[in-house]
Amino acid sequence: MNKLFFIIVIVSFFQTSLLAGGGWPQPKGKAYLKLSEWWLVADRHYTDTGLTDPNTTMGIFNTSLYAEYGITNKLTGILYFPFFSRNYMNNVISRTTGETLIEGEAINALGDIDLGVKYGFFQNDKVAISGTLLLGLPVGKTNAGRDGNLATGDGEFNQLVQADVGVPFNLIKGISTYANAYFGFNNRTNDYSDELRFGGELGFGFLNSRIWLIGRLTNVASLKNGADASTQTGTSIFANNTEFNSYSIEGAFYLTKKLGVSVGYASAFRGEIILAAPSYNVGVFLDLK
Amino acid sequence: MRYSFFILSVIVSVLFTACIGDDFIDDFVEPVVRLTTIVDNMEEGTTFQFEADYFNNIGVAESAAMEWSSSNPAIISITNDGFASALAMGTSDIKVSVTKNGETVEAIKTVAVTEEATMIVTSRDGTLQTTSSYLLQGDFILEENDQQELVLSFSDNYAASTALPGLYVYLSNNPNTTSGAHEIGAVEVFNGEHSYTIDSSIDINDYGYVLYFCKPFNVKVGDGALSN
Repeated sequence: MNKLFFIIVIVSFFQTSLLAGGGWPQPKGKAYLKLSEWWLVADRHYTDTGLTDPNTTMGIFNTSLYAEYGITNKLTGILYFPFFSRNYMNNVISRTTGETLIEGEAINALGDIDLGVKYGFFQNDKVAISGTLLLGLPVGKTNAGRDGNLATGDGEFNQLVQADVGVPFNLIKGISTYANAYFGFNNRTNDYSDELRFGGELGFGFLNSRIWLIGRLTNVASLKNGADASTQTGTSIFANNTEFNSYSIEGAFYLTKKLGVSVGYASAFRGEIILAAPSYNVGVFLDLK
Repeated sequence: MRYSFFILSVIVSVLFTACIGDDFIDDFVEPVVRLTTIVDNMEEGTTFQFEADYFNNIGVAESAAMEWSSSNPAIISITNDGFASALAMGTSDIKVSVTKNGETVEAIKTVAVTEEATMIVTSRDGTLQTTSSYLLQGDFILEENDQQELVLSFSDNYAASTALPGLYVYLSNNPNTTSGAHEIGAVEVFNGEHSYTIDSSIDINDYGYVLYFCKPFNVKVGDGALSN
């Protein structure tokens, strides 16, 4: 089950939906580390109507370290550290004259850090229930660039409280299977709207759990109790009142008992005030069990 | 282990491909010549200097040779420099034309010659229309107030989406880009009547459109053509 837990903690649609963990905390003294690259390049965005409109192409690239450590058998420390985050916008060129109308620009900085703990309330062979407190530390850059249009963070300190319920089961002999559902409340500051986060995932382990294939549904619903987006300067994936319903697939392969690689793809069914493009991630993980 | 190196190579490669690229926009507009001094009538026996600007196919003012003519030279005569003389009572169409790259554009103004010239309150109006899926609507008028300040006023049927971060309003000669546009400022009123006082360096005939752009996303939200 530990292996199962390890590989399901992978950056999902956006880095803010990182906490895909499930109901299983780490055993005491065990750890999981992952170095990964997550990226998104978008030339359209979802408007407040749910339709998409064009925008100057924007790219966001996060190189991050994700770590979990079992402080006790029930309490796990969690760190998501995007130590290199790059946000850029393309040049805007006149198709008529070929002249550059608006110079593109880019910033490189730290991204927002997530720091938290997961506590296992209950666990047996049939079910695992846990709660997580995750603090979003606003160390990323906001309002950077010529027009304040680039960012590697949202500039607000948020606190996510989340409950997870995980269930392992076997549908087919030789294939490990689990399902997990979660529901969370994200309290945001600086006039950003609070959010409800909920979703689920289904994982299948093949070849004695050396290969895992995971599907996820991730949902963020804004309570829209903060300031209008018009009075906020956040953009791209950091705007206020953002919502989305996304799906993702993830493949993870254990090369050895401890070392593995993963690849992932995510896209959205629906969104509001957020970039509209698939995101991708690749990573290398160490499962120190 | 070689798979790990492969993944690490992908990570490094992705980082290096995260470079600023080019987006091309269709910013072509039909060239226009626009009269920048407006008069509706002239007093018999007086003169008036007409002026005009030529805006090229991206809406940028460009020097150009202009031809001036009067449809009724017995009423109003005009020189090649646009200097008009009111000779007799009646009306005449004053035309300015520019020929560039084989294409001719022109502007025409009907001018009356009267016994006494009357003060003209010059104004230009229009209607906003959204060109995106964001809400933007309303009528506007650009005119000088009593203090000779140029003011852009919106009617009570004006409404704009509050969902956009960084909505700005501009005066422009190209509705497709903010390049070369005059930035009036950030939009702070999203419903109902309001107005902006325009910088004193701007003349009422300098621009052809009111333009709304989301500055951070660099995306056009809507526009409205100013009447001639």
